[in-house]
Amino acid sequence: MQELFKILTSSVGRKILMAITGLSLSLFMAFHLFGNLFLFVGEAAFNSYVNKLHKLGFLIRIAEFFLVLFVMSHAYSGILLWIKNRKAKKVVASYSKENTSSSARTAAFTGSIVFIFLATHWSTFWYKFNFDLQGMSYYYVVTESSVGFGSPFVSFFYIIAIALLGYHLKHGIASAGQTLGIVGTKYEKIYNNVSSIFWFWIPLGFISIPVWFGFIVRVI
Amino acid sequence: MNINLKIWRQKGVKEDGKLHNYRLENVDPNISFLEMLDILNINLVKEKRDPVAFDHDCREGICGSCGFMINGRPHGPQRATTVCQLHMRSFKNEDTIILEPFRAEAFPVIKDLSVNRQVFDKIISSGGYISANTGEVPEANETKIEKKYADEAFLSSACIGCGACVAACKNSSAMLFTSAKVSHLSLLPQGAKDKDARVINMVATMDEMGFGSCTNTGACSAECPKEISQENISRLNQDFIKSSLMGILKRNK
Repeated sequence: MQELFKILTSSVGRKILMAITGLSLSLFMAFHLFGNLFLFVGEAAFNSYVNKLHKLGFLIRIAEFFLVLFVMSHAYSGILLWIKNRKAKKVVASYSKENTSSSARTAAFTGSIVFIFLATHWSTFWYKFNFDLQGMSYYYVVTESSVGFGSPFVSFFYIIAIALLGYHLKHGIASAGQTLGIVGTKYEKIYNNVSSIFWFWIPLGFISIPVWFGFIVRVI
Repeated sequence: MNINLKIWRQKGVKEDGKLHNYRLENVDPNISFLEMLDILNINLVKEKRDPVAFDHDCREGICGSCGFMINGRPHGPQRATTVCQLHMRSFKNEDTIILEPFRAEAFPVIKDLSVNRQVFDKIISSGGYISANTGEVPEANETKIEKKYADEAFLSSACIGCGACVAACKNSSAMLFTSAKVSHLSLLPQGAKDKDARVINMVATMDEMGFGSCTNTGACSAECPKEISQENISRLNQDFIKSSLMGILKRNK
């Protein structure tokens, strides 16, 4: 146990933890989007999907516990590494940024914004769905209510946050590949091809929902 | 050509430094960057001023002594080139060139552009060796090495330990250096025996020495004068995971 602790608290160990939690959360995102896309099928389909999830009961609670644990340990490791890196650095007045991609340079910042988004996401959507439905249908909460895409402010913030999440993942998934030692092996090519699904197509799928229900539907 | 220089002048480890302006006129574009600094120093000595301190040795790009930031980039603007191999023709007439030492907490400035990179030696001494039998000279070509591994180990061994990777990194991480040294030995059969201990000890020493953590930005490889690739870092991570798990399994058996 002590050995495991020593390994996980080394700089590489912390990054392995970040990579594993980050990739797991990305996989969850795919599953989450699958559910969200029922919104396009129709009100009845979406409501019955959410009801089915609710029927799973404690299984969902266990999954939620792990999701929160993963988000927290990802953020915790990230903050520790960020502090360590700030300490290791000395300012070079003329320092050139041209060889570092901006997605890599801003990963801590985009991650922080995503965390703020997650906190509001839980306190609005998640809380409403679980404890404060007040007779509204799930579909209505998402598409019409003031915590959902009924509010242009929410839609706008949602789009920005998901775009930043995609940008965060652009660096994050590539970085995880290197941390887990996939770069340079025969799996690198497959990994890179699959990664674009996660940092581009899935965020795009999420964004399509507020764009459609928050803006387009209201105009036409 | 005429050159304006802004050079970081710092008297000692504990003193504060700042950029000083210098001007050199009629510089031959075909001299090397360090020769240009030699000329500047000759002028400074003639004027009874303190010459600029900078590290250099072979001036052939293979010893790893030289290196400082030129306009914010380690070893200057040209790819795969050390400062000593850089020529003044890479700059334009009347250019202003900013020279600063490699900066990291782990690399204290000794004087001006010269930094103390002893921490690299500490990383090396914690695992950068192999176990070999003493006695009779072994038969040549006794140990067969697959071409693929020989090539990869050769590429990793090209690291001259100049510290440009640490200077290029926004986190001052020494992962490229450490991973190149680990790969160089661990890919070969001669280094296989110490493979597990090597990667774990070298990473531990690297952490102890106050380097930052790698965030896989790739700036190190882009600035490396020997073009050491990111694959080394990936390989180190893979070795680290394998060796850690194997270590735990072995000891708990």
